[in-house]
Amino acid sequence: MTAAEVRSPSAAPAAPARWPTPPGVRLAWLHWRSRRVPAAVLALAVCGGVLRAALEWGWLFKTGHFAQEFPMIVEGGAAAVLVITTHSPFGEAERTASRWLPYLRLGTALAMTGMAIGIIQLCVTGASLDGGILVMARNVLGVTGIGLLSSLVTGGLLAWILPMGYIAFAEYALLQSWTNPWTWPVRPPTDRGAWLCACLVFGIGLAAFTIRGARTRLAEDG
Amino acid sequence: MNIELSDITRRFGRNVAVDGVTLDVGTGVLGLLGPNGAGKTSLLRMLATILPPSSGHLTLLGRDPRKPADRREIRRRLGYLPQNLGYYPSFTVVEFVEYFALLKEMPPHLVPKAVAAAIEKVDLGPKARAKLRTLSGGMLRRVGIAQAIVNEPELLLFDEPTAGLDPEQRVAFRALIRDLGQTATVIVSTHLVEDVGAACSEVALMSNGKVVFRGTPEELTARGEAGQGVGDAPLERGYSAILAAARSAS
Amino acid sequence: MTAVALSRPARVLRIEIRRSVVLWSVPLLAALFFFDSFRTVSGFAPVWTVRSSVLTTNMIEDFGPFAAGLAAWVASREGRRKTGDLLAATSRPAWARQLCALGATLFWLLATYLACVAAVYIDTALQATWGGPPLWPIAVGVVEVVTFAVIGFTVGALFPGRFTAPLAAIGGFLLAFIGYHAALGVQPGMSTYALLSPSTAVPLGDAGVFYHVAPDLAIAQVMFMGGITVGLLGLLTLAPVFRVSYRGLLAGISRAGRWLCVAGVALLAAGVAAAATAFALAGTAKPGVSGWDIPALHDAASDQPVPYTPDCAGIALPVCVQPAFSAFLPAAAAALQPAAAELKGLPGAPVRAELVSDGNGTRNTQGMLFAGMPKPGVSGAPPVYNFNSDNGMAPLWGSPAGTDNAGWRAGFQQVFLSAFVAGPPQAGADILTPAQQAVVTALMTAIGSPAPQFDEAFTGNGQVVGGATQAQIAAAAQRFGSLSPAARHAWLAAHLTALRAGTLTLNQLP
Repeated sequence: MTAAEVRSPSAAPAAPARWPTPPGVRLAWLHWRSRRVPAAVLALAVCGGVLRAALEWGWLFKTGHFAQEFPMIVEGGAAAVLVITTHSPFGEAERTASRWLPYLRLGTALAMTGMAIGIIQLCVTGASLDGGILVMARNVLGVTGIGLLSSLVTGGLLAWILPMGYIAFAEYALLQSWTNPWTWPVRPPTDRGAWLCACLVFGIGLAAFTIRGARTRLAEDG
Repeated sequence: MNIELSDITRRFGRNVAVDGVTLDVGTGVLGLLGPNGAGKTSLLRMLATILPPSSGHLTLLGRDPRKPADRREIRRRLGYLPQNLGYYPSFTVVEFVEYFALLKEMPPHLVPKAVAAAIEKVDLGPKARAKLRTLSGGMLRRVGIAQAIVNEPELLLFDEPTAGLDPEQRVAFRALIRDLGQTATVIVSTHLVEDVGAACSEVALMSNGKVVFRGTPEELTARGEAGQGVGDAPLERGYSAILAAARSAS
Repeated sequence: MTAVALSRPARVLRIEIRRSVVLWSVPLLAALFFFDSFRTVSGFAPVWTVRSSVLTTNMIEDFGPFAAGLAAWVASREGRRKTGDLLAATSRPAWARQLCALGATLFWLLATYLACVAAVYIDTALQATWGGPPLWPIAVGVVEVVTFAVIGFTVGALFPGRFTAPLAAIGGFLLAFIGYHAALGVQPGMSTYALLSPSTAVPLGDAGVFYHVAPDLAIAQVMFMGGITVGLLGLLTLAPVFRVSYRGLLAGISRAGRWLCVAGVALLAAGVAAAATAFALAGTAKPGVSGWDIPALHDAASDQPVPYTPDCAGIALPVCVQPAFSAFLPAAAAALQPAAAELKGLPGAPVRAELVSDGNGTRNTQGMLFAGMPKPGVSGAPPVYNFNSDNGMAPLWGSPAGTDNAGWRAGFQQVFLSAFVAGPPQAGADILTPAQQAVVTALMTAIGSPAPQFDEAFTGNGQVVGGATQAQIAAAAQRFGSLSPAARHAWLAAHLTALRAGTLTLNQLP
C-alpha cells in the first residue's frame, strides 16, 4: 500500500448483479445454515434408517401392545435432535438485529418438525410401522413441544435431555398400560385425548419458542 | 536462545502459510506484526507445539518438539494465549486458571499461590469466584492471560492479547509483558503497533509467510521515515513502508 | 492440622466433578428411577434375588441412555468450546485430561445409581424375611452404566458436534432395548448375545431361594462389558495417532509417542480378548438348577439345594412355605382354611399345603421357565397340595398400582380347588371339564368367594366345549351349590373318581 492509493482511491466497484435468489429465501437459508439444519437433516435420516433397520431385521415387536416400544424411542429421538436447531450461535446480536427473527424461528421449527415426520415416514415406507404415520406424527409433535419448552430454560444445545426423559417415562407407561392422555406416545391412534394433549404441548412450545427463542448465554459456542 | 527456527515452512494443502522462516529469539519481548493472513497465527501455533512444521527445524527451550518427551517438557514451561480463547462457561475464574496450572503439571503445593498471583497480576481479584459466563469480553481475555502466565513460563506466546481490553488495561498489560520479558521469551502477535512500540524490545514483520523485517522499534520507525509509508504514527509508517517494499519485491 | 494435599489428577478431577453437567441431570434420573424402577420393584415379592433383577433391567433403561448422552456431551466439549488449541499446548497428555472428564461424569452417574440401588435394597431389607442382598447384580449394573458412559464418551470424543449427545442417547436407548428383547428370546439367532445382555425378564418368584443363583452368567457379562469398555479406552488412546494424517500412520505414531501407541494397542487388544472370551464362555452355557451354568466358571457346590426350615401356619390345613415367603404365610393359610374344610374327609384330600420350588423346566435366556414348570397339584401319600411361587402366590405380589388382595385370595382358592377336583397334575393345557368347572364354582360360592373366572381356553373361546355353555355351567353350579354341605360332601365322596376322570356330565350333577 502506498500513499498514492490513499490520496486517490480507485473507483468504487460496480454494483453487484441482482441476486438470483429472493432475499427472503436467502435469509431463511442462511438462518437454517446457522442452525445447522443440514446436519440435523442428516441426523434425522440416521434415526429413520435405524427404525427401518429394526423393522427389516426384526428387532422389535411388530404387532401387539408393545409394538410401539421401539418406534417411540426413534420418534422421540428425532424430536430431541431437531430441537437442537433452536440454538442460536449469534446470541444477543441476533436478537437486536431483526424483526424477522420470530418468523424465522416459527418457520424453522415447523419445517424441522415436518421434515422429521417426512424423513421417518420415507424411511419406513414399505415396512409396517405400528400405528402408521398418524401415531408417528403425533409422537414427534408432542415430544418436539416438550423440547421447545425445554430450550427456553436449558438453551438449545441441552434441550434434548427432557424429551429423552419423557420417552423413558413413556416406555414405563407403555409397560403399565397407562391410559392418561398426557402419555400420548403409548395411546392408540384413535385416542382423541392423546391427540389433543400432544398438539397442545406442541402449540404451547411453538408459541413460547417463537416469541422468546431458546435461552442464550454470553458467548455460547457456534 | 529459547527459540531457534531454521527454514520453517508450514503448508495447508496448496496454501503456504509460513514460508522458510529463520528466526532466533532469546530473552525479551518480540512483537510479531503483519497483515491478516501473513502467517503469524500459524507461526505461533508451531511455537506452541500444536502444529508441526511441514519442513525445517525447530528448537524450543533447547529441545526438539518432535520428540514426545521433549515436547511435554516444553509445554510445562510454555504459556499460550490463542487468538480465539475457548473456555467453559460454568467454571469460575479461579477454577479455569487452576485447571490450566494443573494441566501444565505445576507442583500441586504451588498451584493455589500461583493461581492467586496470576489472577492478581491481571487485576481480576474481585472476580476470582465469578463464573466465566458472567464476565465481559475484556475480562475473559484477562482470564486467558492469567492462565498463560500462571506457571511462570520461560516461553510466552500471545496472539492478539489486548483485544477487548480497555486503554488502562492495555497499559497494565504492556507493563506486565515488559516485566515478564526480563526472564522469559515473550512473543506478542498483534495488529496494534502502539503495543509493539511500548512493550517490545524487538519487532518482526511478516508478509505472505515470510519475515520481511527484524529489528528494533526504532529501526522500524526509521524505515518509515526513509520509505513511503503511510499512517498517523511513526511505527505505522514504518510498517506500511516495509510491507509496500515486500509486495513490490514479490 | 495441615490439610491433605491432593495430587494433580485429584485436583483436576475435583474441578470437573464440581462443574459437571451430569449433576443437573440427577433430579431427572431420580424421577425416572422412582416412576419406573422403584414402583416396578415394589410390586415384586420381597425376595432379594427377584427384587435385585431391577438393577440390571429397569434401572439400566433409566440410566443407560443418559449415561451415553451426557458422556458424549462432556467428551465433545473441547470441540464445541474451541479449547482444542489451548489444551493441546499443555503438557498433560490428552488421555489424562479425558480420563478426568470421564471420571467426573462417572462419579455423578454411579453415585446416583448406587443411591438408587440403596433405596431398592433398603426397601427390600425392610420387607424381606430371609436371605441377604446379592452383590453380583450391583457389580453387573455398575459395569453396565460405565460401559454406556464409555461408549457415549468415545463417540463424543471422536465426533464432537452438537448432535452427537442426543444421537448417543438414542443409541443408548436402542442398546438397552435390543438387549432386553434379546433376553426375551425375540431374536432366536442372537442367543449368545441374549445371554450376555444383563437385561432380563422378571425372574421366577423363587429365584435364589431354593437354589443359589450361580454367578457364572454375571461373571461372563462383567467380562464382556468390561472388555468393551477397555477396548474403547484403547481406541480413545489411539485416536490422536489417526488424527495426524498428513504424513501417514508413522508420523502419527511418532507425534503421539511410541509408548502411548503401545498402551493403546494393548488396551484395545485386551478389551477385544476379554469380550471374545466372555462370548465364547457364554456360548457354552446350559440351563442349571437356578439359572444358567457356564462349565468353565461353575462351582458344582452351588447346585446343592439351600437348606431351610419351613414356616407353617393353619390348623385345618397346615400351610408351609420357605421362610423367604413368610410375609405371605398368614394370607395363604387364611385363604386355604375354608377351602380345605370343604374337602376334609374326601378321598385324596390334602393333609398339608407346601410351597415348592418352581423346578427345572425349560428356561429362556435369563432363566425364565416357559415350559415344564410344575403345575399346582395334590400328590403323594399322604396327599400334599404343592404350589409354587409363580403359579400359586405371584399375584399376591401385586403391582405398582396396588395389590388386589381379594382377587388374589379368590384366585389362590380357585387354583387349590381346581387342582383337587381335576386330580393329579396333567401335562398340557389346564382344561377342566364343564362338570369340574361347575363343582369348583359351587365350592367357591360355598366358602363365600366370588364365582371363578375360567380362562377363555377352558371354554374354548365361548364356543361349546364338551356339550356345555357358560350359562349351563353356571346353572349346574348353582344347583350343586344349593345342596346342604353334608349332601354336597357325600356326593363328592361317592363321585370324586368319576369327576376326576372327566366322565361326568353337567346333567349328572345333583
